[in-house]
Amino acid sequence: MNAPVIAVSDVGIRFRRNRGGRRTFKDLFSSRARRSRPNEFWALRNLSFDVQPGEAIGVVGRNGQGKSTLLKLVAGVVLPDEGTVGVAEGVAPLIEITGGFVDDLTVRDNVYLTAGLHGMTRSQIDERFDDIIDFADIGDFIDTPYKHLSSGMKVRIAFSVISRLEEPIILVDEVLAVGDRGFREKCYRRIEELLTGGRTLFFVSHNEKEMRRFCTRGLYLDKGTLVLDGPIDEVLALYNKDYAV
Amino acid sequence: MGAVSTFAEVRPGQRTRFARYRHSLWLLTKRDLRVRYSTSVLGYMWSILDPLVMSAIYWFVFTQIFKRSVGEDPYIVFLLAALLPWMWFNGAVSDATRAFLREAKLIRSTTIPRTIWVNRLVLSKGIEFLASLPVLAFFAIISGARLNWDALYFPLAVLIQTALAVGVGLIVAPLVVFFRDLERAVKLFLRFLFYASPIIYSARDLPGGCQAGVAARHCATTVAAQSDTLFSWHFWAAFNPLTGIFSLYRAAFFPQELDWFLVSVSAVMSVLLLLVGFWVFARCERAVLKEI
Repeated sequence: MNAPVIAVSDVGIRFRRNRGGRRTFKDLFSSRARRSRPNEFWALRNLSFDVQPGEAIGVVGRNGQGKSTLLKLVAGVVLPDEGTVGVAEGVAPLIEITGGFVDDLTVRDNVYLTAGLHGMTRSQIDERFDDIIDFADIGDFIDTPYKHLSSGMKVRIAFSVISRLEEPIILVDEVLAVGDRGFREKCYRRIEELLTGGRTLFFVSHNEKEMRRFCTRGLYLDKGTLVLDGPIDEVLALYNKDYAV
Repeated sequence: MGAVSTFAEVRPGQRTRFARYRHSLWLLTKRDLRVRYSTSVLGYMWSILDPLVMSAIYWFVFTQIFKRSVGEDPYIVFLLAALLPWMWFNGAVSDATRAFLREAKLIRSTTIPRTIWVNRLVLSKGIEFLASLPVLAFFAIISGARLNWDALYFPLAVLIQTALAVGVGLIVAPLVVFFRDLERAVKLFLRFLFYASPIIYSARDLPGGCQAGVAARHCATTVAAQSDTLFSWHFWAAFNPLTGIFSLYRAAFFPQELDWFLVSVSAVMSVLLLLVGFWVFARCERAVLKEI
């Protein structure tokens, strides 16, 4: 066995339930244990698993059971309150993909900006620029301000940039729900290509067909804990049994 | 396949963490400036126009209406030498109140160390500050103010001010996420600080400071000879780090403004604020990421 590329051990994270919960300046200065914790709940707790390089993992669970939070933890955009998340390689997070895009700048500037923020050098972007534009299929709009694109085009260009990141780990969080059918199919093919190229995939979706298409292993989350970690078919079977329509 | 290369050959991980941070900082700063300049007709002119109008107002009020008893001559140079850095500080801190809220989407999708959201504001405002220096040069030339060797302290002043702005930004930015009121409180405090700092007047005009006519090197002696040094305005003003910073900037044209007591207290205060800033930031980071 190789060293795991993602090692999640005993992770817990909690959130506040109500926005108006009282937080005082006192909280800032008192020790972690003594701080007042008004109305908090654990979104995830006691979660442990390892991921080997090249695995494709689908995360299953109902809404609000911590799937997206888990993805964000792996992406490193939120930090756990307990335990550790070790990620040995770079991550291409297909989460909030349009986040780095600025309305007032042109598509070209935005591509350079977003790819740069995710760690690409200028020459790397130069090399891939045509590919990125081709994939998104918006050649006529390179010098249009981003805000004038249709919402479908926005997602297309964003996906195109992030999926070109060439990072060994890809996280996908239901971003593909938008976009027309043709583009979605194109995205799936891209993901399959990446998988054959040896990438590690972490996938959150409610679409069973997609799950079976990409993933070999499944994680079933319920009420913030890991119920089952096994082959994707077993995981989906259990999920369907628990929540039969 | 074919079109997709294996990750080993091309992955962007070749950059060290520090290089990546620096690169991102630069990208974000460039983006800020580009957005600002590409969406407005006057572009760069705004960096100049703002201090120009402000100083025109103060110049008019203090030299044409009131008989001025503070500051140095030429007053416009004296004023701008502190007003321009003030605008840097003011801009950076008031923008820091929205550092996380404005970029929430981007912060939720990247893993760059989070201090970058404050540092980039300080940097882009700092570049605007440098870009506005020609205004000062212009007025120095037409009013015949003489530049002296103390101008070499300029980088030191910039350094202390950067530490100060980053420190304050790191304290303000995460706290505003939890306490929205703080945004307005900070704005109010900045307005107060404008008059509490020696911008339209000199630190030497403060009661307890050494009066005009006393040479800089005798200043310490003069101040020490006064009976209640410890309880004078001058003494307490030193704890406003801006006092020392402005004294350093002004020394370029007015050597008598240089007061090492003020500068050293200001340097110590700035470093302290920076440390507190890092501490508060590290403490809040986790919660901020959940909240935005």
